[in-house]
Amino acid sequence: MINATKKWIFLKASSIILVPLMAWFVINLVSIYDKDYVDIVNFFSTQPSKFLTSLLMIVAFFYSSLSISEIFEDYIHDEKIKNFANKTLNIFAIIIPLFVIVIIFNLTPIYFAKSDMRSYSKPAETPLF
Amino acid sequence: MNKENPLSPHIQIYSWNISSLISISHRIVGVLNIQILILVCLWIALLSLGEANYEYIKLFLQSFFGKFLIVCIIWSFIFQILSEIRHLFWDFGYGFELITSKISGLFVIFGSLVLTALTYLFGKGIF
Repeated sequence: MINATKKWIFLKASSIILVPLMAWFVINLVSIYDKDYVDIVNFFSTQPSKFLTSLLMIVAFFYSSLSISEIFEDYIHDEKIKNFANKTLNIFAIIIPLFVIVIIFNLTPIYFAKSDMRSYSKPAETPLF
Repeated sequence: MNKENPLSPHIQIYSWNISSLISISHRIVGVLNIQILILVCLWIALLSLGEANYEYIKLFLQSFFGKFLIVCIIWSFIFQILSEIRHLFWDFGYGFELITSKISGLFVIFGSLVLTALTYLFGKGIF
């Protein structure tokens, strides 16, 4: 199998995985974006959120690097510049998700004692789906 | 022998129609979504700095511009999702007829706007 075919298959497979993950993220983003720090940390601390957000980051950056390399292929003529751009892109597509996954897996849920008077909305801590 | 690959022609030479509009929008939105993903990564990273530092982010996100940014992010993601589904149908050999292509293109444009509104209202628990 030639490289271009492999790349196309990876691109399509990642887009099939990405569609439901993006839908999940968008719906949950709306429900948490303006919430308190505690609610957002508790949301990202649940096991499903940790797993789905990490998967989203890996697949999204993988898909992005493949599709941007296609744009480089279409519009950059110079081979050296194109190779440099592709290598830089791949490095960022590995480092950024890795960095976020480490942060997400280090987040721990924040619990309050009953005596604590701070408002704490329960629904935001669990994902909608 | 010239080994250089041919480059895509500049977009100005094409006559505009729904398919070309969706095609270039798909690429632009794709590039924008990468910037958005980096912003989301930054947002998650800022959580590790603690509650006191997060107050500034919270204030911004609760402001009009914050809400506007979130709505734009939702639209951008939904546009990408619908456009990607359209591409997947093409990959399986469906929807190449001119009329179907135009209808699916219009569905991507108007569907993304309607779904953005519905997602926001659903996410906010309005219904």
